[in-house]
Amino acid sequence: MAAATERAFACMGVRDVRSGLAAGAFSAREIAEASLARVRALDGATHAFLETTEQLALAQAAKIDAAVAAGTLDACGPLAGVPVAFKDNMNLTGTHTTCSSQMLANYVSPYTATCVARTIDAGGIPLGKLNMDEFAFGSSTETSAFGPSRNPWDLSRVPGGSSGGSASAVGAGLATIALGSDTGGSIRQPGSFCGVVAVKPSYGVVSRFGVVAFGSSLDQVGPFARSVEDAAFALNAIAGRDALDCTSQAVGIDFAANLAEGVRGMRIGIVPAFMEARGLTAEVKAKVEEAADHLRALGADIVEVELPNAQAAMSAYYVLGPCEAFSNLARFDSVRYGYCDPGHADLGSQYEASRAKGFGPETRRRIMLGSYLLSAGVYDTYYYPAQQVRTLITQDYERAFQRVDCILAPVSPRTAFRFGEVSDPTDMYLSDMFTISINIAGNGGMSLPAGLGADTGLPVGVQLVSPQFKDENMLRVAAALETAYGPAPVAPAFREGGTLEASPANIPDAADAVPGVDLPGLLSAEGAPSEVPAKRVPHEPDSPAGCPCEPGLSERPGSAEGVAAQVERAGE
Amino acid sequence: MRKLEEVLQDWEAVIGLEVHAELTTLETKMFCGCKLEFGAAPNTHTCPVCLGLPGALPVPNKAAIESIVLAGLATNCDIEKHSMFYRKNYMYPDMSKNFQTTQGPVAFCMRGHLDLDVDGPAAKERITAAGLAEGDCDGNATRTADGYTAHVGITRIHMEEDAGKMVHVGGSEGRIAGATHSLVDYNRCGTPLIELVTEPDLRTPEEARLFMQKLRQIYLAIGISDCSMEEGSLRCDGNVSLRRRGDSKLGVKTELKNMNSFKNLHDGLAYEICRQAEVLEEGGQIYQETRHWDPTSKRTIVMRVKETADDYRLFPEPDLAPYDLTDEWIDQVRAKLPELPDQKAARFARDFGLSAYDARHLVESRATARFFEACMELAGEDAGALAKPVANLVINDVTAHLNAHADFDLEDSPLTPARAVALVRLVAEDAISSKQGKEVFAAVLEEGKDPADVVKERGMEQVSDAGAIEAVVDAVLAANPDKVAQYQGGKTGLIGFFVGQCMKEMRGQGNPKVINELLVKKLG
Amino acid sequence: MTQHLSERDVRGIAEYTRIGLTDAEVAQMTVDLNAIIDSLKPITEYDLAGVEPTFHPIGGLSNVMREDVEEPGFSQAVALENAPKRQDGSFLVPSILGEGGDR
Repeated sequence: MAAATERAFACMGVRDVRSGLAAGAFSAREIAEASLARVRALDGATHAFLETTEQLALAQAAKIDAAVAAGTLDACGPLAGVPVAFKDNMNLTGTHTTCSSQMLANYVSPYTATCVARTIDAGGIPLGKLNMDEFAFGSSTETSAFGPSRNPWDLSRVPGGSSGGSASAVGAGLATIALGSDTGGSIRQPGSFCGVVAVKPSYGVVSRFGVVAFGSSLDQVGPFARSVEDAAFALNAIAGRDALDCTSQAVGIDFAANLAEGVRGMRIGIVPAFMEARGLTAEVKAKVEEAADHLRALGADIVEVELPNAQAAMSAYYVLGPCEAFSNLARFDSVRYGYCDPGHADLGSQYEASRAKGFGPETRRRIMLGSYLLSAGVYDTYYYPAQQVRTLITQDYERAFQRVDCILAPVSPRTAFRFGEVSDPTDMYLSDMFTISINIAGNGGMSLPAGLGADTGLPVGVQLVSPQFKDENMLRVAAALETAYGPAPVAPAFREGGTLEASPANIPDAADAVPGVDLPGLLSAEGAPSEVPAKRVPHEPDSPAGCPCEPGLSERPGSAEGVAAQVERAGE
Repeated sequence: MRKLEEVLQDWEAVIGLEVHAELTTLETKMFCGCKLEFGAAPNTHTCPVCLGLPGALPVPNKAAIESIVLAGLATNCDIEKHSMFYRKNYMYPDMSKNFQTTQGPVAFCMRGHLDLDVDGPAAKERITAAGLAEGDCDGNATRTADGYTAHVGITRIHMEEDAGKMVHVGGSEGRIAGATHSLVDYNRCGTPLIELVTEPDLRTPEEARLFMQKLRQIYLAIGISDCSMEEGSLRCDGNVSLRRRGDSKLGVKTELKNMNSFKNLHDGLAYEICRQAEVLEEGGQIYQETRHWDPTSKRTIVMRVKETADDYRLFPEPDLAPYDLTDEWIDQVRAKLPELPDQKAARFARDFGLSAYDARHLVESRATARFFEACMELAGEDAGALAKPVANLVINDVTAHLNAHADFDLEDSPLTPARAVALVRLVAEDAISSKQGKEVFAAVLEEGKDPADVVKERGMEQVSDAGAIEAVVDAVLAANPDKVAQYQGGKTGLIGFFVGQCMKEMRGQGNPKVINELLVKKLG
Repeated sequence: MTQHLSERDVRGIAEYTRIGLTDAEVAQMTVDLNAIIDSLKPITEYDLAGVEPTFHPIGGLSNVMREDVEEPGFSQAVALENAPKRQDGSFLVPSILGEGGDR
């Protein structure tokens, strides 16, 4: 029996929330309180949340209720009253931003990411921060220092990753919208695993400012939702040029505008080499073929297109990603923030111990790999050719998109796997075989839920790919397909009347966040994260046990004011 | 150790400079909107970007890019339209991101040069130029009337960011060695910095000093930096190697740091050249190492031995869009170029009939150039006639005073251009002698009075009245009949004796020219 | 599998990246990195003569800059609030020249 005794607002869509607010059926405060209560009641099962943001949620709700009372709800943003949550690599003033790493367990953001500020500015009610693979290195959330999240469709399986907490939260109806980031498939693959709409926009559509970088030329922020329209609304809120991100670009379109136009006359590409790829499971292949049939029936032309160089994308990615990550993660050095191993008389040993203990094994692998690949002599063997291969892959897509408006492909070769099932790093990397080339070229890509796989009975997503800055194409195709498959449902166990037993979670709240003090719940420095979600311990802000650092300063901008300031700044 | 002049007889020094200039005249940092301010309380000018917080992204300061292009145009560089920023990766606590954002193989400014005019005694240090005829070349040196011109190549000027500041605690004299801990202040972190690298075209410490001086004049003229060597906004490192005269193969070079004044630059390089010569002459070996000039002990000290080349894992900065500068944009920057020191010198020479030497030294500082121009404006129609004496006053007396008084500010001194012109006029009109002119110059500076008043108060007015002088001349001739006879017998050199006697009678106030004329007339 | 990196190489990389690894971790890392580098082989087998690299997947976007205008930043207290060690308004680091800590 679903433990949610109150209304499950987070199971609602954006339009329903708005019309309910407008009609006075419920208040934003009810949404905030009930949504947080639902998270606390159920997230023990999913472990999607690392921290809640109750004060922010209530402050935001109060604003919206004031607007409703004043009759100015129309002036509120497109996400007014919608329960939202953010991947924990997104800074939000006054919250821990841990990247699910021990390295940042004690880091409390003094600033807010543009995508977060814009989501809140659009009226979203921020519920909290979401679990992920450590620094986004992974495809299962198993590398999280806080223990993995679980797939709401089958709690013995991974939600995918790295944005696994985001997919899990939306799949379980713990949030209506969640933001994630995608470097090689980190939005789309968990979207597929958890049966939710998951959009990685074209590189440059959403500002990366404030999102902790993994691969700067590959990272892109995007939304998770349970309908294409909700995803488009979220994209409308977060997209567009940001003066604080040089690679962000102006977006002059309404992503929700053409969703109802259908696909008649559209040309949609299928890549034969993808469909014949080794490792692609029959049930996933069948779903892609089924989606093609639906599109054909809806009036689209299905055309075969070739991406001759896409096979090199995987190796190019595992050159470029680690190289950029090596450099991006150099700043975690125990000096300005983050884990500082105590008791070192010299900086060198403090560096080495802090980085050895602060970073998990996968993070260390990527940093060291990147450092090697950029070293003198090696650079010309791997890094430079990888950037040349990027040119070839980009040209492949450009050629293909001269013939088609959108490409249909698998997202992940398979459905969600069990915890511990994929242990070899290079096997894990194969999870991204169909998603990586899109990041390399900077195109838009998304996962659309296409029902359950015939063999595993687990969610399967199909991937739609847009030309760069034509993200409306894939959203339009996705909306058409959605008419065949229906909006993504909340995972069965989490629906009203579902089978889930009460699964309370003791989630720390940002009200207790103190800079320099670990987010409670992190395992000790010595203990490796176990395979099951870590048990949370009650947060005791007065006893920063195990923290080698000075207690935080009392003078810190209040979370709400801080965000408001950031929102204003982002709104320029 | 032998003296520099001797060492340079046997050895040729090959010197290259790396000059860093902070763009202190800008309002904000290179990649964020934090204020640039020297001397603020620590860590009061920071933000997510310059603190290197997770998730922060850089956005380049347009004015900084304009500044470096201006610097490139002013130093005869080619402006590269297509360039990128790179990340130079190394972990050090003063660099908050643990990489420095800098440029790669292609910098904004490439392939420039400056021509240095070397004169005076130091011109002899370039021994291969000393023996040339005017206009002849040896290497990059061309013989001139009063020395030589050295053509010094500029490899590149690239844009980068400065690091934060560290205070080392617990060691001696704030040194890093022996410190128990260090304190880091990121106020300076992210300050726009341009690094100019010269070709190894310099051959003497004097050339290096002149290069820095000229570069500083240019940077000040275009207004991109306050160029304070004391506060570190203009910094210079030198690379030095020696080779036997006649050899073409380069020797092993050392890198010299901490040359934070023109004098230290000269003296540090001079010491290092002599040190290397001594090591080599004793059969020793020079190691590729970084050395620190210690002006107190007047020695260079090893900081660090470089066994292998540093591997900074340089790669293009993915967070910053590349540059694709248009001709139009570059021309807009070019339009902001003010008159540069060389152009000003050429104008002075052309408009006022000055020698190249005089014109060059007048523009050595903006203050003296401006002062000279103000004088010429006041001189009006007499500008042509007064140019040379005013130039002499500025180059000799004013410059000497400036050199002797570090805190002397010409623009705020009792010696106004009007007083300078008045003084020069008094001498030109024979109202006072040039020797008295020096006394008046000193008095003006000390007492803040007009030259005419000084002359009047001190009774210095020169007597030029022919009648008064004739009486004295007659008296002197009458008192020395034997000398008169000798003179008339052919010993015309005695004229000096007669002039001296007359001046003595007139207590130095007689006009020597009039005295001379009268004597010649009466004796002839 | 090709041995791209020896344990000694891996120790060197660990030192450069300032990650202190135990002997056992170095051994495991050597195996892992060699396996990953092996999988990158396709990149070395392409004929890329004359192909320009794409460092920035941003189309023709260039010359992105901001005006030289001051923006509000952090107070000293906020700048330092996450610092593990601080003193006198500054970030504190232990002795830099412990071992090979110079540059």
